[in-house]
Amino acid sequence: MTDERFEELMRDAKKTYRTPPTADFDSMWKSIEGAYFGGAMGQSTAHHNERPRGLQHSAMRWVGLAATLVVGIGIGRMSLRLDHAAPTHPAATNVAVQPDAPKSDTAMARPYELETSQYLGQTAALLVSLPTEVKTPDAQFAARAADLLTRTRLLMDSPAASSPSMHSLLDDLELVLMQVVRLQGSSNRTDLELINRALEQRDVIPRLRTAAADISAN
Amino acid sequence: MSEPDLIARVLAGDRIAARELYDAHSPRVFRLAFRLTGDADLAREFTQDTFVRAFGQLARFRGDSALSTWLHRITVTVVANAMRKVKRFRERETDLEDVHPITSDGAGVDPVLRERLHRAIDGLSEIYRTTLIMHDLEGYTHTEIAEVLGVAEGTCKSRLSQARAQLRAALADLAPEFG
Repeated sequence: MTDERFEELMRDAKKTYRTPPTADFDSMWKSIEGAYFGGAMGQSTAHHNERPRGLQHSAMRWVGLAATLVVGIGIGRMSLRLDHAAPTHPAATNVAVQPDAPKSDTAMARPYELETSQYLGQTAALLVSLPTEVKTPDAQFAARAADLLTRTRLLMDSPAASSPSMHSLLDDLELVLMQVVRLQGSSNRTDLELINRALEQRDVIPRLRTAAADISAN
Repeated sequence: MSEPDLIARVLAGDRIAARELYDAHSPRVFRLAFRLTGDADLAREFTQDTFVRAFGQLARFRGDSALSTWLHRITVTVVANAMRKVKRFRERETDLEDVHPITSDGAGVDPVLRERLHRAIDGLSEIYRTTLIMHDLEGYTHTEIAEVLGVAEGTCKSRLSQARAQLRAALADLAPEFG
């Protein structure tokens, strides 16, 4: 009897607990396709959903980061060779693939620093402008947040997050940006208050500015 | 076309094959993500993340388990990692409950008891809740859950038993016979 009643409750929960709504699988697919395959198809299917745009940007961003890295390494190695080798050395365009080319950590880090510096500035600008009054951020604001969220995640997986302090900052920013993205279409005053409180408690904006200043100083 | 053939074609850059795999598996991935989060936006985001990661790591899929099991393992990982951050941020569990209002479907069950049960499920620790949701609400077998979560089947059964015992205890004051 007892078990029967409990089983009845569980059967009810199967129908009533977090019942999955209908989903727009085509829209989700367009985002996945854009992120995984990239290319014209992914970009030509711009959609009303802001998150997919963020995902589409992720593939582009990876390409950008990779390209920046390659160029940065090339430039760094080339400049080192120019410092140490004869100025008439003809193989300037080949140094990046020479196995015995001098290695420079700063040259490796610089492309990430540029990207990170730009990202930190844009994130600080967005968070500072986060409405303190209770109102719903517009779609453009949410789209910027979604883009920054994607970049946060990419940076977290990159050498830019190798220092514990930067990793911790990116971790907090991911969390805050995730909540900012979700504010779109919400009128929940509590959500906004929680974001503001988290920003204050975790000193996010001062840490952002410090990190940006450190990178600039380098 | 068989699933291994589809996988090979996806790895070769075939979008149509990728779409075919997505069509076959996305509804269940989304269902699982929604059951675990209770939030449609998050479920959508996590479903997308699951497939982007899955396609990115597809070359590493050895076929030791079913593709669905592998996909659901990614889903559970994606959801668990992200929800820890969301919960840490939200501070109050009640906020999470607000995003999945109880539906009126399922006449015959005392609404108060139902709501209490839902809250009790929310209050389970992650390992118990995930096991309970997958088994009792989504119909996964213990074998499937064990593969997805990477635990022994016995562990999975034990977790389900613990989860159910905790639910009964949570309902005891409303339904004394559960105590």
